[in-house]
Amino acid sequence: MANASVLVDRPTLAGTEPALRTVKLSMGLSGLVLVLLMLLGFCMRLAQGGLMSVEPALFYEIMTAHGAGMVGIAALTGAGIMWFFLARYVQLTAAVYWVMLSLFLLGVVLILGAIFVGRFAGAWTFLYPLPAHSGGVWEPGAAAVFLAGLISIGVAFLLFYLETGRAIIARYGNLSRALAWPLLFRGSQDDVPPPAVVASAAVIVFNGIGIVVGAAVLAISLINLYAPSLAIDPLVAKNMIYFFGHVFINATIYMAVIAVYEIIPEYTGRPWKTSRTFAAAWSAILLMVLAVYPHHLLQDMVMPGWALVIGQVISYAAGLPVVVVTAFSLLVYLTRSGMRWDLASALLVTGVFGWTAGVIPAIVDAVIVVNKVMHNTLWVPGHFHFYLLIGEMAMAFGFMAWLTRAKVPEALSGTSYWGVLAYLIGGTGVAVMFLIGGAMSVPRRWAVHLPEWFIQDQVGALFALISIIGAMVLLGRYLARLAAAVRA
Amino acid sequence: MQAYVLAVSLLLMTVVAGAFWWAVRHSTWVVRHGADVQLHSSGHVESYRTGLFWALVVLGVAVAVATLRPWPYDASASEDSVIVTAMGGQWSWEIAPQQVPVGRPIVFKVTSSDVNHGFGVYEPDGTMLFQTQAMPGYVNQVRYTFTKPGKYRVLCMEYCGLVHHDMVEEIEVR
Repeated sequence: MANASVLVDRPTLAGTEPALRTVKLSMGLSGLVLVLLMLLGFCMRLAQGGLMSVEPALFYEIMTAHGAGMVGIAALTGAGIMWFFLARYVQLTAAVYWVMLSLFLLGVVLILGAIFVGRFAGAWTFLYPLPAHSGGVWEPGAAAVFLAGLISIGVAFLLFYLETGRAIIARYGNLSRALAWPLLFRGSQDDVPPPAVVASAAVIVFNGIGIVVGAAVLAISLINLYAPSLAIDPLVAKNMIYFFGHVFINATIYMAVIAVYEIIPEYTGRPWKTSRTFAAAWSAILLMVLAVYPHHLLQDMVMPGWALVIGQVISYAAGLPVVVVTAFSLLVYLTRSGMRWDLASALLVTGVFGWTAGVIPAIVDAVIVVNKVMHNTLWVPGHFHFYLLIGEMAMAFGFMAWLTRAKVPEALSGTSYWGVLAYLIGGTGVAVMFLIGGAMSVPRRWAVHLPEWFIQDQVGALFALISIIGAMVLLGRYLARLAAAVRA
Repeated sequence: MQAYVLAVSLLLMTVVAGAFWWAVRHSTWVVRHGADVQLHSSGHVESYRTGLFWALVVLGVAVAVATLRPWPYDASASEDSVIVTAMGGQWSWEIAPQQVPVGRPIVFKVTSSDVNHGFGVYEPDGTMLFQTQAMPGYVNQVRYTFTKPGKYRVLCMEYCGLVHHDMVEEIEVR
């Protein structure tokens, strides 16, 4: 059978084991936070559907916590996957992961304090100058603590990328080799890096730049709270915020997909190698992730026209590597492979499906004439819930299932089967109901909905409940097995 | 347009789902004829990949040309245009004039006195017609010609604080 070596762990480099244990811990923490944040999302859908009474002030606080938290755990799970598999190829310093996790948790505490003590409700996007204009609801101190929390998380990930970048350069000499450019441009087969390294190198470059830009606009926003005369141009700030936000959230998926590259070959017996096509795709991804953010500003007519056209065209082009390289390759690897399906492989394949399908409404929304009637409607959470819930988080759950797999092969059955099914059906339903809400022109981020919008809110809430049950099953299995392993 | 966009998106997503379903259905088979462990590097697969790539490129170019001509941001005023100014502020709109004629191009000049808002204009049946951002320090300009009389609502489309959902105004077209 092609998958005879399924349960043989590949070696990691010496000295990285403690950090790998930390990865397992951080994945469990992320899962717990995910379920709590999903419950908050469920409450918001109930409130919008008129089934639960939530004061608008509290609704927007919940919305801010839900957004910031989900972005945070998507990043943390992605980083955990990247760190875990990168440790197979480069020598990482375990302490950096601890420092990253500590700064991340500090940021979480600051953000939660700002929201639920300071009543900050400026959304995770902190769109300048909203943090300084609360309309008398929150004090500048609350906004400052929130921004400081984001800075703490940003510094955490910057350290993470500096360390992973350092380790890659120490092994491969420079980032261009890690991006497989000698293979791409000269056809050199000498010391070709594996897909995990190529993907990591690309993410390090684009998200490193993204975080630096994010830190700059966060610092400016922070200063502006106490010195209003030190202002920044709102259009420049908007560009910086969306550049940072877009790059950061995209990086979460590009890190998580490393789990697919590393784990799926164990099930198919077909190695996922770095080819010229693969290298070209990741170099294209690197450039396009940096260039595509103007699609968030398509309703800012004062932007240069060429930038808006880039926003539309690159949005489409950025989908090509996903479809033509990762998804296409996965389907080829699966076909007639003698694949054994278990929870891990099912979730990882589901993750690539969610990502591939989720980019479709994203690309559609980036067409300027469509964006004119879909921007900032529920269409937007529709597409990102699809590729985060069914994409990134499915990959993360798949990785968690693989981390805690049994020594003997287990078929996908029983509770696991129903758990993944509930997660898939519920998550898809959540996203599709948002898309339908967008087609109904329902604006996003409204605490109170009109009665004619209730039906999609209510059905969406039902699907949210189903997806939460699925997530709880998947998380419960992971935590139970982790606890059992610790006891053993 | 919205229903069409939804239908096309769901159709394409279903095609993706179908491709995954097909691969999953065929994943447990083991090919017993020939060593196709390296299937992914076979000529057939790469030619399919190349074909898919170029088909998507051609589709993308066609969509870009079709949707960018005429230029979607053309908001220039003509002699018979009516100028409407709209100023967003936490949490209300100041729109002048609020009554506009049917059948004549209306040029909306939209800005904000404090934070970012979104100026979304809805048909009486609740379908969004167009939108633009209202930003402090900038004036976004958008042109639209109403073809039906009625009361059109303006909803805030950019989160702007705690009364965001109540930032609603009306424009009468007659």
